[in-house]
Amino acid sequence: MRSIKLKNLTKTASGSCVLNQINLHIPAGKFFALLGPSGCGKTTILRLIAGLDQADSGEIYLDEEEISKKPINQRPINIVFQNYALFPHLNVFDNVAYSLKLKKLPKGIIEQKVFQILESFHLASHIYKLPSQLSGGQQQRVALARAIVGEPDVLLLDEPLAALDFKLREKMLIELIELQDKLKTTFVYVTHDQFEALTVADQMAIMNHQGEIEQIGTPKQIYEFPISSFVARFVGTTNILNGTLHHLKEESEIDCHELGRFKVYIPQTKEWMKEGSSIQMSIRPEKIFITKKPAQNFSNHLKGSVHSIVYHGRSTQYNIILKNHTRLQVFEQNEEHFPQEVIDYDNEVFLYWQKENAVILEK
Amino acid sequence: MKSKTTLPFMIGIPALIWQALFFYIPLLITFFSSLLHFTEEGLFLGFTLEKMALFINPIYEKVWFSSFCLALSNALICLIIAYPLAYFLAFTGKRFKNILLFLLIVPFWTNFLLHVYAWFFVLEKEGFLNIFLKSIGAINEPIHFLNSLFSIMVMMVYYYLPFMVLPIYFALERFDHRLIEASHDLGARPLQTFRRIMLPLTLNGVRAGFLLVYIPSFAEFVIPELMGGDKQMFMGSVVSHYILGEKTASLGAAFTVISSLILLISALFFYWLLGYLFKPRKSNA
Repeated sequence: MRSIKLKNLTKTASGSCVLNQINLHIPAGKFFALLGPSGCGKTTILRLIAGLDQADSGEIYLDEEEISKKPINQRPINIVFQNYALFPHLNVFDNVAYSLKLKKLPKGIIEQKVFQILESFHLASHIYKLPSQLSGGQQQRVALARAIVGEPDVLLLDEPLAALDFKLREKMLIELIELQDKLKTTFVYVTHDQFEALTVADQMAIMNHQGEIEQIGTPKQIYEFPISSFVARFVGTTNILNGTLHHLKEESEIDCHELGRFKVYIPQTKEWMKEGSSIQMSIRPEKIFITKKPAQNFSNHLKGSVHSIVYHGRSTQYNIILKNHTRLQVFEQNEEHFPQEVIDYDNEVFLYWQKENAVILEK
Repeated sequence: MKSKTTLPFMIGIPALIWQALFFYIPLLITFFSSLLHFTEEGLFLGFTLEKMALFINPIYEKVWFSSFCLALSNALICLIIAYPLAYFLAFTGKRFKNILLFLLIVPFWTNFLLHVYAWFFVLEKEGFLNIFLKSIGAINEPIHFLNSLFSIMVMMVYYYLPFMVLPIYFALERFDHRLIEASHDLGARPLQTFRRIMLPLTLNGVRAGFLLVYIPSFAEFVIPELMGGDKQMFMGSVVSHYILGEKTASLGAAFTVISSLILLISALFFYWLLGYLFKPRKSNA
């Protein structure tokens, strides 16, 4: 259980992946997720930490120890590869025992450790099978077992569930969380899937296309209080309205030109927030209420017409067109079999939200 | 189901007929003719193992043993040169991979004898190698390279190297490079990764290359004859000498059978040995 610190890490690859002055602190014993679009360099960060690649400049620290120049086989860091990279000629036992055998541990101890971990990974009945004889989920578990059996200080996971189907992925996510809880090893989980990142992470970092880190925080902070429209759009879905900041202080207001003025709640004033500055407002679709009748007790409301309806089972998604042709998404929980109010195509609807539920972003 | 199993068989039939006509049947004929016993006048007397028994003779023992050594050392030298070469071609060649492969095969386009004569120019007393060694001051007097074991080995390795490189290259080409990364990540040093991951996974290429070199070089008689003068006697030379001799054809046949047996047994042994050396011990509790 050790922390990782990246200091001014820069890497220029021949391809499009470029890391630009990455500074990142990954706390010890935490489940940390690195989320970003494909090709943003998140896998490169993982490869640099593991020692598979060398950075052009910058340092990597494991606690206080600098490991940037340490060869890969001497770093107490293991990685679970996206394609698992299991050794095809070795059976499950020998795959898992690989790192222990290299350490020249006594045979009895190796067997005890391997059997124990395979038992807890529900692989006990597959010990002498070759990787090609296992299902995707089982291969995934073997890769995981192989990486943690040597008790590394840090475990890196490179989109480990990308090849699994949705149900299995959900199950594995829970297993990963429980595993991390038990081991207290620092986990660094790279993914482009915001659902996975939000599910597993204690802390997460969002990377943009330029290979920079946009925001670091808990999943809740990231989702509820994104600091940029990139984060707001990339994590979850959101509605963005353009406007100018009208009032600052207790009663802040946003002027959205054709749509009118909306009250917003600004918990913390930032430097760029000035009266008259051009801003964006992000409201999550599930934080908007939709009804056909005008309602009270809400600080903000809008009028629009239903363009399309998508039924998701647990919720229904309404796509609303506003009077200035902006489109808004609204999610409604399907709480009842027979809702009192049926909203249909082309209906005139009112949208409401509380001012605390909108987030102001720098434009 | 039926068509699935019979179709490959049907496709194989022409090759099987070819094999039978020009390989198995001649082999049987050779075998039988080695057992035939004739008088001086050519009268058939019956069957005998006499000629086979002739083989058990210190002179011939030396012959087959030197053939064995020649083939084995050729295969080993080729393996040691070919593996790094194939590795380079498969992993670091990149853009030039196809050109380099092409260059490897180009020598096959010219006649074999031309290669031998080209090597004469290199190895002879006033040849390029001696001129070179003299010019850098390594030697004062020219060395007799030709008609020696050295010149035989040079030519053997030169000629057989591609047969070793190609199978290993194709095995390495299919090799997933991420396995090396995984191995290093789990704490292995480069040599350990080579021993535990790379060699076992390219074993089939190594085996194929080894046998492709070992088997023909055991029976090789052109290269020793041309490059070695008459100092060294090898199995191939002896067999060809008897087969082409006036009344010794059946003796040649007997030696063919015996040397084929030695070759078969030793090849199987090396096939097993390579597997034994390169495959990791399996854990099977």
